[in-house]
Amino acid sequence: MAAHPDPYDLLKSIIHLSTSSIPIEAKLDGMLQILSDALESDRCLLLKPDKIGKNGFLSHLASEKKPLWVDEGSSFNKEGVLSEEKDLLCPSFACIPLYDETAFQGFLYIAFSKSRRFSTQETNLILLIAKEMEEAIRNAHLHRKAEQTISELIALQEMGKAVTSTLKLRELFELILVTGLKILKAKGGALRVEDRRTGELEVKCSLGEYHLNPLDEKIARRVFHTRTPLSLHHSSEEKPSLSILCAPFLSKGKSFGTLTFYDKEANLPKFDERDFQLLLTMANQMSCAIENALVHYETSEMAREHEKRVKQLSTLWELNKALLTTVNFERIVHMMLTAITIGDGLGFNRAMLFMVNEKKHILEGTLAVGPDSAEEAGRIWTTLSQRKENLSDLIAQIQLFPETNSILNSIVKGIQIPLEQEECILSRTVLEGRPFNIRFPYSEEGWLQIHCERGCSLGSEVGCYASEHLSRNPKVYSFATVPLWGKGKVIGVILVDNLYNQNPVTDGDIQFLTMFTNQAGLAIENTILYRNLEEVHRELKETQALLVHQEKMVALGELSTHIAHEIKNPLVSIGGFARRLDRAIPDESQEKRYTETIIKEVGRLEKILDDIHTYTHDESLAFKEWDLRDILEESVSMVSEGFHGGGIQIVKQFAEEPPKVRGDYHQLKEAFSNLISNAYQAMDGKGTLSIRIHPISKNGSSFIRVEVQDTGNGIDPENLHNIFNPFYSTKDARLGLGLPIVHKIILSHRGQIEVDNHPGKGVTFIITLPVQQPSPPPLAPVLRPDQIGTTEDGGGDSGEGERPKNSP
Amino acid sequence: MKRIMIVDDEENIRFLYKEELEEDGFMVELAKNGQEALEKLSLFKPDLITLDIKMPGMDGIETLKRIRETERHLPIIMCSAYGEYKQDFTTWASDAYVVKCADLTELKTTIRKLLGLL
Repeated sequence: MAAHPDPYDLLKSIIHLSTSSIPIEAKLDGMLQILSDALESDRCLLLKPDKIGKNGFLSHLASEKKPLWVDEGSSFNKEGVLSEEKDLLCPSFACIPLYDETAFQGFLYIAFSKSRRFSTQETNLILLIAKEMEEAIRNAHLHRKAEQTISELIALQEMGKAVTSTLKLRELFELILVTGLKILKAKGGALRVEDRRTGELEVKCSLGEYHLNPLDEKIARRVFHTRTPLSLHHSSEEKPSLSILCAPFLSKGKSFGTLTFYDKEANLPKFDERDFQLLLTMANQMSCAIENALVHYETSEMAREHEKRVKQLSTLWELNKALLTTVNFERIVHMMLTAITIGDGLGFNRAMLFMVNEKKHILEGTLAVGPDSAEEAGRIWTTLSQRKENLSDLIAQIQLFPETNSILNSIVKGIQIPLEQEECILSRTVLEGRPFNIRFPYSEEGWLQIHCERGCSLGSEVGCYASEHLSRNPKVYSFATVPLWGKGKVIGVILVDNLYNQNPVTDGDIQFLTMFTNQAGLAIENTILYRNLEEVHRELKETQALLVHQEKMVALGELSTHIAHEIKNPLVSIGGFARRLDRAIPDESQEKRYTETIIKEVGRLEKILDDIHTYTHDESLAFKEWDLRDILEESVSMVSEGFHGGGIQIVKQFAEEPPKVRGDYHQLKEAFSNLISNAYQAMDGKGTLSIRIHPISKNGSSFIRVEVQDTGNGIDPENLHNIFNPFYSTKDARLGLGLPIVHKIILSHRGQIEVDNHPGKGVTFIITLPVQQPSPPPLAPVLRPDQIGTTEDGGGDSGEGERPKNSP
Repeated sequence: MKRIMIVDDEENIRFLYKEELEEDGFMVELAKNGQEALEKLSLFKPDLITLDIKMPGMDGIETLKRIRETERHLPIIMCSAYGEYKQDFTTWASDAYVVKCADLTELKTTIRKLLGLL
């Protein structure tokens, strides 16, 4: 056995080595070397736990936690020694298990080729060095752990700092993922957050392509719903192994997202427990930050939405204020369409108004506002953006320039669409009373062809005309229609589009437009009512003026009649005597001229007076359409009042709805009253009066025939010729002035009168009146004997169709 | 010689008619209203009467009715300043209606016609 070195020096060098800052492996190697040198051993090793086979004597030793000493005189049972362990079996050797606080760290193995004994000093020394090695290993472990923890803490701190530095969701998600990836040394990751509306998990941020793996999505959902983190190592022979760590973001016991990392950046891509814990820490910390950011995001979204609403409402208020300033229909519709197209208003490119015409049952193009070309649109927008005026100023200008002469306007004004044309989007808007928002993908052949069987004029004119202006590719044209509501009914349709900037028409736009048009519809309805009111008012005023005029004319008539009468007689005397003078004066004398002047001037005055008289006294008969049944009923009741004879039976046979007769009511009534009165007198209180009315047709013309029949004694045939002669005298009381008047009236109505006389039985007067009489007849001629149909010597030959029928 | 009675409330008209008609060879009697006309009717026994319509007291229409009660065949010419009574049925019992005029031609023609002188 070699000389023992000084144990003090040995321990000194061991401690020196142990406290040095060299790596643990070098330390351990150094210690083994010192020990080997000191004891002059043949082998001195540190057997690591992973080199120790299962169920061998070493593993047995490890579980016993006792050192093994094999030396001279001691026996070693070779049973249970594994084949790979056999070369460790030297004549003398020692195995000292090394433990730190918890785990087995291996054996300190020292062997000698010759059998020898371990002295107590040697044993103590070896155990001391083993202890020192345990200590060194533990320290090294602690040191590594501490370093790792520090670096993780630094990373977490960085992450914390980073996430509090931003409230922008996208940046935050990216930061979390990138930092997490760095801390966990993962190859990829994904961050998912729940969509509040749909409840679906959405990938908000990802690194690598792991999130595309369907397995990943499944895991994320499971973690999200169970609110339990998951660590999974998936390995199979066909696919490369996959290691996944996934943790939920939790807030108040609810999960709102997941954080997933994949595959460690190491030889063995498996995450360990530490990584898992680290992820949980991260997820917990980040939950709060993400939730804050989400709340902030939602709040700012809401604020933006509110701001938009407030802006819309104030726009609406401004527009409505403007609409209330006028009741003029043209102006109000122009203001409305301009408000729809103005950038600060509703901001559509073009707006067209179609009003419902209820009488014709059509939609009529009323007005269109919007640029005719993209160039014009650009010019207008540039001008407007430079003006920086507010809405009320702009609307004030709308009021100043109510005229528009664009091509579009003239096209729209010519459009008429039958309402029953249900295929047309405009008609449908009216019929269904709801807005339509429509997008047309571009097509070369008439891309705004609304599906109409008859071909909609909107499609053929506005659309094709508009297609020239679409510049964007692919060309998409979108437009929307909104019904214009009056009081409880659709009074029109507004069509809007964004032809020039090709912005899509959003549902929000339609909503805003509807809000505005609902107000505008009422305003328009009011203007229509006001316009009607104005019309009625004007008519009333006109009627009043007419009445005043007529009253004046009546007063003037009365005055002029009076004056005319007062003047006429003196004038006749003057003129008459002037003529007498004129005749007495020789033709060649000077005075002749005087009298001629008087005569001429009197003639002029007479003419003036006659004109005034004619003007103020309309002497023409009041010819109107009359139902003869009414006239006869009136005549019968008038006459029967005058006779008390209850013995007279009246039989009326009137045709239903006989054609009407043109005539003067009073004259006709006078005529029939006379006939009826005569009949009463002839029957002397007893008999039957028959009155018949029926239409007849003669020579292709329509007539109405009235018969008045009595059951009296008839007319003496001797008198029959003269019954219409006013001067014919007879004992018969009824043949007074009555019949000539009847005769005269019927003639003046272009009618005929016939007599069917049956002496002793009765007489029937038959009146025939023409039904169609386009113009009133001339004034009743002056009743003169030479004009009377039946005169004393004429024998009823000169009347206009009056033929007394003599009974045999 | 035919006898004509002129009934008119206007003195100058009566004077004018008398002058003119006498010149034409008629015997003329004047009455200034209906009452006077009726009184003179039986004494004068005219062949024809011209009757003014608007007269104070008994007017022409009333006078016409009264005369017709006894004299159905006596030709009567209604005279008035204007034609407004042409539509009045009551004047239809007369034989003619003449609107007064400084030119007496129409009146004279009507008189001659009614007297059968034409």
